[in-house]
Amino acid sequence: MGASLPPKEANLFKLIVKSYETKQYKKGLKAADAILKKFPDHGETLAMKGLTLNCMDRKSEAYELVRQGLKNDLKSHVCWHVYGLLYRSDREYREAIKCYRNALRIDPDNIEILRDLSLLQAQMRDLTGFVETRQQLLSLKPNHRMNWIGFAVAHHLNSNASKAVEILEAYEGTLEDDYPPDNERCEHGEMLLYKISLLEECGFLERAVEELHKKESKIVDKLAYKEQEVSLLLKLGRLAEGGKLYRELLPMNPDNYRYYEGLQKCVGLYSENAQFPPDEIDRLDALYKSLGQEYKWSSAVKRIPLDFLQGNRFMEAAENYIRPLLTKGVPSLFSDLSPLYDHPGKVGRYSGATYAQLGAFNKDNRPIPWKHYDRRGQYDIALSKIDEAIEHTPTVIDLYSIKSRILKHAGDLAAAAALADEARCMDLADRYINSDCVKRMLQADQVALAEKTAVLFTKDGDQHNNLHDMQCMWYELASGESYFRQGDLGRALKKFLAVEKHYADITEDQFDFHSYCLRKMTLRAYVEMLRFQDRLHSHAYFHKAAAGAIRCYVKLHDSPPKSTAEEDDDMSKLPPSQKKKMRQKLRKAEARAKKEAEEKHEESSAAGASKSGKRHVKPVDPDPHGDKLLQVEDPLLEATKYLKLLQKNSPNSLETQLLSFELNMRKQKILLAFQALKQLLRLDAEHPDSHRCLIKFFHKARSMAAPVTDTEKLIWSVLEAERPTISQLHEKSLIEGNKIFLEKHKDSLMHRAAVAEMLFVLEPDRKLEAIKLIEESTNNVMPKKGALGPVGEWKLKDCIAVHKLLGALLNDNEAQLRWKVRCAEYFPYSTYFEGSRSSAMPNSAYNKTNRNSENGSANHSGGETADSLASNGKLEAFVDLTI
Amino acid sequence: MDIRLLRSSDIPNVQLANLTNLPENYFLKYYLYHALSWPQLSYVAVDVSSLEYNASSNPYTSKPPKIVGYVLAKIDEDNNQTGHITSLSVMRTHRRLGLAEKLMRQSTRAMREYYNARDVSLHVRCSNQAAIGLYTERLGFAREKVESKYYADGEDAFSMKLDLVSAFKDEEKAAEGEGEKTDGVDEGGEVGEAGKKEEKKTVKVGRQLGVQSLVENVVQKPSQQVAGA
Repeated sequence: MGASLPPKEANLFKLIVKSYETKQYKKGLKAADAILKKFPDHGETLAMKGLTLNCMDRKSEAYELVRQGLKNDLKSHVCWHVYGLLYRSDREYREAIKCYRNALRIDPDNIEILRDLSLLQAQMRDLTGFVETRQQLLSLKPNHRMNWIGFAVAHHLNSNASKAVEILEAYEGTLEDDYPPDNERCEHGEMLLYKISLLEECGFLERAVEELHKKESKIVDKLAYKEQEVSLLLKLGRLAEGGKLYRELLPMNPDNYRYYEGLQKCVGLYSENAQFPPDEIDRLDALYKSLGQEYKWSSAVKRIPLDFLQGNRFMEAAENYIRPLLTKGVPSLFSDLSPLYDHPGKVGRYSGATYAQLGAFNKDNRPIPWKHYDRRGQYDIALSKIDEAIEHTPTVIDLYSIKSRILKHAGDLAAAAALADEARCMDLADRYINSDCVKRMLQADQVALAEKTAVLFTKDGDQHNNLHDMQCMWYELASGESYFRQGDLGRALKKFLAVEKHYADITEDQFDFHSYCLRKMTLRAYVEMLRFQDRLHSHAYFHKAAAGAIRCYVKLHDSPPKSTAEEDDDMSKLPPSQKKKMRQKLRKAEARAKKEAEEKHEESSAAGASKSGKRHVKPVDPDPHGDKLLQVEDPLLEATKYLKLLQKNSPNSLETQLLSFELNMRKQKILLAFQALKQLLRLDAEHPDSHRCLIKFFHKARSMAAPVTDTEKLIWSVLEAERPTISQLHEKSLIEGNKIFLEKHKDSLMHRAAVAEMLFVLEPDRKLEAIKLIEESTNNVMPKKGALGPVGEWKLKDCIAVHKLLGALLNDNEAQLRWKVRCAEYFPYSTYFEGSRSSAMPNSAYNKTNRNSENGSANHSGGETADSLASNGKLEAFVDLTI
Repeated sequence: MDIRLLRSSDIPNVQLANLTNLPENYFLKYYLYHALSWPQLSYVAVDVSSLEYNASSNPYTSKPPKIVGYVLAKIDEDNNQTGHITSLSVMRTHRRLGLAEKLMRQSTRAMREYYNARDVSLHVRCSNQAAIGLYTERLGFAREKVESKYYADGEDAFSMKLDLVSAFKDEEKAAEGEGEKTDGVDEGGEVGEAGKKEEKKTVKVGRQLGVQSLVENVVQKPSQQVAGA
């Protein structure tokens, strides 16, 4: 390369390349300009100058130069490679791959380009291509360890683990017997463990054990060695040996649950659901008793038996496990025990007997049994227990956090936020309490206050708020949801899309590791990381963010921002001459604002650049309120992008399919909506929302005009053929189907509400009947347990959803009011229903105490708060969005 | 609580725990960097109460592991004989269970066994009495020096070190002594108190530059090379 240049310039060209690799961009730029002075059209120099500028944040110039360079020298693999690197830096991987391929056409054996190509193929999971490229690299440079390893990994990823084993063994064949030298022992050991894990994956279990034993002295990671060995022994049914090994592993880490599980398997005492016949329970009990003697420090050995013991032995073991933790006041004790909660004769019994003796709190006033009442919905008892404790020891911070949580469950979000803030002020250095408080504030839709509180921990130099930079997704999600509840779609979208961006960044994060891990030989960890990345978008936070964004876009579609329409409306009142003036004025103001923003932006980036050559100042966010996000041409098209990701990564979520249904109905994609409906019925046919979709769909299908085009005829015929396969309908009418659903679920409030809503959809004149259906639901008392008082079955969030249904869809204010009065009885702490004890009422106990808080006193308006309970609720969010 | 090695798939939840508890935060890539460079050293504490036993029976409803504590650890890039604790934290709701100590013991054991490290270092806020107690009294760390304004908010840090060679000797003896390992040491109420509120951190470098300076220098070179260079 640079071959066409005279020696002096050729050296300068090498300097550009070197400067680029060592990130000395200014130096490189100077060298490039020196060449271009003499040879202004030299393609490779132009390209390299562009690539250098790209690293100096001068993107548009970069692309121009690289393209110009390429045009001047289409036969240069350097130009093509540089073009690929440019695309790669912008994550345009497909384009980058094309460029690399062009470069390789000119110089097929270029190692650097092949290597870069292989990295992109790994990143894009173009596994066949990856295998090919890796094979080529190996045949070009078989004396490089990395090329052997890379070829093997490529085959493994491409689902050919046995081929990968062959390659690794061939590689081993090239090594001397005394390999490895001391400084490569760890790497070599990792390679061996990787190979053995591949043998296991292939099912060559005997061979794997044999190989493991043979190479024992060369495997440095003794823990991994033992874990690998025991896993193989278990699969081979060599249980005695396995049991022995587990007893070697347990002393190393007596809190590892998998070791206990494995040991149980080895002694023939394992059951997936922890249900055992009596004789096995005896043996298990004896086993854990003896293990407990050995591993006194382990809590697992004391906790696990609570899952299988019963009766008096349970009581005794529970006493041993719980009592010390109770005395110490371990806050997690109740969540630890919660799986035992609904077990007859377990904690229920334990609690009945022991709590009575203990009283609500032990002598140190640790908050113990509140959760019991909180869980059962007996908020007044839970609160009185907590108040007692606070009165006794007002300095225990957790008591306030707990009270805040109970109030949140009880429906008073504003009071919950205020209490959390009080707790926060008691220890300003503890971020956990700060996070807890911020969460409560967001639930209460106090977003500004929440941000002010959160940034107390995130100031970083001049940077006011690095929550976004630090990928603080829980915060962004919770604010997005709050903005959505408040109808601020721009800001909501901004937050949801920020989370989506984090996930894209995480996907990008793996790029560097494709080569790094091959060199470091951390191959098992590498493959595991790739598998994790493959499932990344099924992560709950991504799901929530994507679902949130879809809801925003759907809402945007249903009620587009009034700006233009309203503006026109305002203007239409003016005489035409003034209208024109007004428009001009607006346009000018807009242009001015834009210019100012740009200037500010340039100033700040210039200031940053002058100091150290690199920009430290963050560019000004050109769209802080997400207004531009609202200006999308086709919101449903945007939504579809995110829906596709949900469908691909969490197809078994009811919410995914509900969103798909809603979106496709709006897009008039009848067959896609039908597909979503079928998925809903498959996932949970008895769910009220599935029923809603079923009725709505066929109701809509019925109202479609007779088919005219071929497509319409096709859709029609598909539906004709499919309808009989839907067992809920068969030959029945929709009205009948709705009725049958009611009979099946007549004791459930949410099902009745769904039936009522559909009744109204099908027969609008039977509205009163629909309302009656809802109002005649009864809030049954849950079966009693122990000596605790009666509790109604209804959940607050359901009652709120019903309240909204009565208003938005059935549009009956009186019924809504009746419902509100009734629910205020059931939920006296609910601000939404203005219950008598909620902070929404001027005389509530809560409002009688005044409090100050450090970070500006909390704004306790109860108003909008209750919507948040429906936060990620299913169809609730669509209640006011009719199809 | 289950104490086990950190896996890549735990990382989003480890990052969440870190962001919830501590002011010193890192990009997700920095966690990946740890997991992929020293996969033996980082551990997590998982609340299995709502998980394991239910998970196997119903894969669709199984939730991601609930990470209630973690230790993120590495080997010093410039000195492969020294381990370093990058970050350690236990959720406030899960304190007093001795989790921090258990996590630390697993990590330091691996440093010694696998990497043959001689010592392990860490930084701790001078005001963090609980953590200092855990490190010095229960784990045997010694204060080396005060690093002035180590943290972004201006607080000083103690730099601490644990001699793994001698710590290892003691443990090995205890282990050989009929598996009676560390009974007296580990038992008792103070375990929890000590683990109450711990943390430790790299600061300015560890945050914004963390990944760039640590990973990219090491990792990115190949992708930076130009054909034929």
